[in-house]
Amino acid sequence: MKLIAVQVARLLGALVAVYAVLLLVCLVLVPLGSGGPRLDTARAGNTLFITEPKYAFMTRSQLDTTTDKVILLGASNVLVGLRQDQIQPRVPQLEVHSLAVSGSNITQVGQVVDLVHEVQSPAARKHTTYVIGLWYGLFADDSARWHTPDRVAGDTDIDIERYRYGFYRRTPEGPVPLLPPRYLQAGTVLVHPYLVLDRATRDATKSMRSFISGKSAATTDEERNAIVLTKAQQDQYLSFWHDYMGSTDELKEAQFQTLRRVVDGILVEGGEVVLVDLPLPAWHSQRSPLWRSYASHMEPTLAALQTRPGVVVVRMGADNRDDDFGDEVHPKPRVAPLWAARLAKTLNAEGDARQANLARDSASGLHVE
Amino acid sequence: MTLTSLGFVAFALVVALLSNASRSVEWRSWVLLAANGAFIVSYVDRPLHLLPLAAFLLLCFSSIELVRRRPSTAALWVALTSILASFVLLKKFSFLSDAWLLPFPYLLMGLSYVLFRALHLLIDARQGELKEPVSPRDFFNYTCNFLTFTAGPIQRFEAYRAQRQQPLVLDEPRVFQAFSRIVLGFLKVAAVSAVFDNLFQTVSGRLLEAHAAAAFSAPAFALAFVAAAVCYTVYLYYNFSGYVDIVVGVGWLCGQDLPENFNQPFLARSFLDFWSRWHMTLSDWFKTYVFNPLLKVLAARFRSAKAGPYLAVAAFFVTFTIMGVWHGTTSVFVIYGLILGAGASVNKLWQVLAVQRLGKKRYKALAETAPAIYVSRGLTLAYFALALTCLWVDLAQLFAIFGRLGVLGTAACYFGLALGAAGAFFVWDSLSGRFARLQLGEHAAFRGVAARNLGLALQILLIATVASFFHKAPEFVYRAF
Repeated sequence: MKLIAVQVARLLGALVAVYAVLLLVCLVLVPLGSGGPRLDTARAGNTLFITEPKYAFMTRSQLDTTTDKVILLGASNVLVGLRQDQIQPRVPQLEVHSLAVSGSNITQVGQVVDLVHEVQSPAARKHTTYVIGLWYGLFADDSARWHTPDRVAGDTDIDIERYRYGFYRRTPEGPVPLLPPRYLQAGTVLVHPYLVLDRATRDATKSMRSFISGKSAATTDEERNAIVLTKAQQDQYLSFWHDYMGSTDELKEAQFQTLRRVVDGILVEGGEVVLVDLPLPAWHSQRSPLWRSYASHMEPTLAALQTRPGVVVVRMGADNRDDDFGDEVHPKPRVAPLWAARLAKTLNAEGDARQANLARDSASGLHVE
Repeated sequence: MTLTSLGFVAFALVVALLSNASRSVEWRSWVLLAANGAFIVSYVDRPLHLLPLAAFLLLCFSSIELVRRRPSTAALWVALTSILASFVLLKKFSFLSDAWLLPFPYLLMGLSYVLFRALHLLIDARQGELKEPVSPRDFFNYTCNFLTFTAGPIQRFEAYRAQRQQPLVLDEPRVFQAFSRIVLGFLKVAAVSAVFDNLFQTVSGRLLEAHAAAAFSAPAFALAFVAAAVCYTVYLYYNFSGYVDIVVGVGWLCGQDLPENFNQPFLARSFLDFWSRWHMTLSDWFKTYVFNPLLKVLAARFRSAKAGPYLAVAAFFVTFTIMGVWHGTTSVFVIYGLILGAGASVNKLWQVLAVQRLGKKRYKALAETAPAIYVSRGLTLAYFALALTCLWVDLAQLFAIFGRLGVLGTAACYFGLALGAAGAFFVWDSLSGRFARLQLGEHAAFRGVAARNLGLALQILLIATVASFFHKAPEFVYRAF
């Protein structure tokens, strides 16, 4: 018995020693990972965090400030269409961050809101406006979206990041933090060697992985602006989304209730919400039963939500041409500034209204920070 | 409790510490009993889910005791039939109608290996080799040992009983050796096999997805198929042999000397040689309880001396076909069995004909030349890797793949892979030979307690690093069989 205990102690000692040396070497050679002055998951690939979910999970601590800020949430059409770097100059009075994650559904969007709330003080939460980009893909059922062979059934991409370095532990009720969120930055330093090794390994194997997975190289903005889809490509996209959404033509009401819960969760903490109904090319929306299902669920949902103080709805469906889209859902790069301007207009108008309200409340002695 | 989880590591450590808490063999046996119970219970949510396993164990135990007390051929056949019928029913073989199946979920894991151990006891009881009765505790500890319950190795009862009666004595080198073996096992399962599983999933995903597969040209499709087959083979080997390393290492700490299941299978120069190195305890079991009795029956039926070698060909075909079919409950495993059977019988036939034509001496001399060795190794690996396709596709997918490849494409895949493997083996042997000559492990700097533990720590960090790359811990593949 003693021999086994001694061996365990020796091994643990050796582990601590080796890891300490590794951490020291990595800290000296590679600067700590940072999200930059404004968070933008679109830049994740250029950071030590590499992927959008990991970037969102690891960098969120810096959102714990009482500066007025906007956080963009949603899937890849938010990343491509509502670009942080194009919106920020149009709303200089606000901090604009993007924590949109490709492939998100509304469950994952809700998780990102929870992650932000975890690291924010109650005061910081009151200065946060969430912009959520909506479209039918965001309402994919969890059983279709997150039950894939490459993951533990039901784990979202955010869940995977929660468990990856042991910051959370898995329980039957869901992930539970092992590392208190206030120590997130310390945890990020502690796992620095893993971040470095992950980055180094991915960089070293990038070409091989692209070759094996058959993914083509990234296209340039010019190439994406010039894309014209054929009928066959449109059919392929429609078929893809039918399969992706769980081989169904109907969306479930439960996911729209999740949206209402997410909005409630933000409002109850004093935050605000801008719901952006994102457009699709007409050939897509007209031929997709899923879009029709989305529209029939969304109309009453948005109508109910926009009556609530702190919620604004932006409908971007009008004034779009099929030629504005590089594929079935993402706008071309030349269109993104127009989307950014539309959103900025709403944000500025809301900001002005808020300032006016604050000034009025202040003048009448009602405002209490 | 999956074997690759931290929960299992903690569990195994507690069992090892408790096993060493007293020198009493009775104490160790009770600790093992409690550990086995806890391990099995960890896989179910409700007691009802254990009921079929408990009933199956009871049936096996009572059958063995009955045959031991009244060893007759009739009793043996009744017992064999009832045990095998229960097994087929509980395993939900696909040819069974739903009306035959139990209408609730239950624990299926471990059933195959319980069956192997029970049949071994039953046949030995019939042959009068089981002199003393097996106590219920010993029966449970032997058939449901938490280390071998999932997928073996299949220990013989005599070996289990001998170890059970020996007091556990550990020394420092043995403890370190056990820890090294366990860490090596995790390195194989959680790092090497996980990487190859990831590669395999990526490539096979494209092969099996109709749109992606259609985009492949014929040579690219063949190349992708070979790549998937190789990745699956490497994944399977490291996954299974890593599992064996873990359970053997934990066994050493708990006073169990479990049999080895692998002996460098990729050194095999023929299909039959391969199966004497791969999943060895399963091969031995089939040799003892299927091949040998079958050969005996055939020899009694066909007494001609000239027929002797050909009887072995037939016996190999039947044995390997059954062994292949054992791997699963659907029709694709029948194909797998036939491929294994064909491989074994053709291999035997080749040996018989080559010896007849060349003479034993010339054949042996030819087989010992370097080109013959590497080509044989390549052909063996290629055959096994392509046969394993049956374990990662269903019947429709199997026909789709080989239909697209055609006879020529399949032959090109086989010989191309064989030649590639032969070249790779040659390069590997040359490099590892040069590395071995450096004798780093023998250097004093690497032999101290601190250095050896630092080496283990590095391996653990490597495991943790690779595990952090993937979204879930790799499953232990053989638990499904």
